[in-house]
Amino acid sequence: MRRHRLTHFLATIIVISSGIVMLIGLSVKPGTMPADLASFTLEVVSVTAAIAVLLGLLNLLTVHLNRFIKAEHGWPYSIITLFTAIFVLVLRMLDHVDVWPDDMAGEQVSPHLFEAVQVSLESALAALLVFFLVYAAYRLMRREVTPWHILFTMAVVIVLLGWIPLENTEALADLREWLVQVPVSAGARGLLIGVGLGTVTVGVRVLIGQDRSFWG
Amino acid sequence: MTPDNLDLIAGWVSLVLTLFIFSYLLGDNVLYRIAVHVLVGVAAGYAVVVAVESVIVPWLNQTLGETLDVFIFGGDAEGRSTLTLTWLGILGIFPFLIGALMLLKYSPQYARVGNLGMAFIIGVGTAVAIVGAVAGTIIPLTREAGESIEDSALNGLIIMVGTITTLIYFQYYAVERGGDIVRPRIIRTASAVGRVFITLTLGALYAGAILTSLAIFSDVIRDQLQFILDRVGG
Repeated sequence: MRRHRLTHFLATIIVISSGIVMLIGLSVKPGTMPADLASFTLEVVSVTAAIAVLLGLLNLLTVHLNRFIKAEHGWPYSIITLFTAIFVLVLRMLDHVDVWPDDMAGEQVSPHLFEAVQVSLESALAALLVFFLVYAAYRLMRREVTPWHILFTMAVVIVLLGWIPLENTEALADLREWLVQVPVSAGARGLLIGVGLGTVTVGVRVLIGQDRSFWG
Repeated sequence: MTPDNLDLIAGWVSLVLTLFIFSYLLGDNVLYRIAVHVLVGVAAGYAVVVAVESVIVPWLNQTLGETLDVFIFGGDAEGRSTLTLTWLGILGIFPFLIGALMLLKYSPQYARVGNLGMAFIIGVGTAVAIVGAVAGTIIPLTREAGESIEDSALNGLIIMVGTITTLIYFQYYAVERGGDIVRPRIIRTASAVGRVFITLTLGALYAGAILTSLAIFSDVIRDQLQFILDRVGG
């Protein structure tokens, strides 16, 4: 218990000191010693984040390997994930070693794979979203008609219709323009400023050691 | 195998995976799940490739690599002292030490020691978030809200009222009145006005999301149809 308290105390000290060093470094003029220290610390954190990505992959592979070994529900899908992750890594290594035949000399195969698989899948998923967004808007009104639902749907319809380049509908386009530039801009600003104020409040609580909920 | 063949294979793979994803319109099915698991594997693999090639290797080259080059392979120190080079090597290892500490979080017994590595990242991340929120969000947006009055008084006033009432909507200030806890009338009124602005904003953002995904949908359909037509046409 005493050891746990010590690590907790040390962790809090590290949070406070590294946070204050960064706050000072990011607030002073570039080129000064604190600014350089902050820039170096940021570089260290970005390398650490890259190492965390490595650890994340290790965790992903372990989880799927366990699912496959224990033949848990959905294990065939785990083989697919394991195979594709390892395949990408091996392909990249082969690209570096340049083992491809003469016709392909100097060619990088992994960017083709990236284009064919990741870009295609992400685009298809984003494209699929249109059906669910429209269906969700339809269900919103079907479930219950309240003044707020009507207002929400009106905003959606005005923005969508105002976007269509129809003839003699300048008034609709103008209304859309005004809606986006005035009330929507005001609401978005209010929300973003609120998020900013919330971030500052939580950040300050963390840096003064009041909020330690993230230790679990 | 030629680069043209590679493009052809990539095109077919792209078409098949796109169809697998679109099969979700018929309900959750095996093909969709296969495509999603392929995406998880490929995305994880690429994230590691980018992390290693763009961050870890350049860092090691700049720090530990320089030290090892001079001390072990007898490279040029470029006027740097032994102490500087030693420090460079130690600093090069530092992120890996933090990474090793994070690895301890896997162990229930040593998870708390792993918190020390996380503490450093949280401290730095929090400071960056605070500075980013103040310098990148609060100050510029507040200034813009003030400046909008100069362009058009009425619109500027609406923007000011909208921004302030939106913020008030998230205030839960309440007072005790006759044994009940109630929000003051002025706060309730301002909050209702704020809710109008929030609803309009979310509606417009929702429409924006529909338009974006519609544009992507038309792009995907056009690309895949073009690929099929190219094959059919020889």
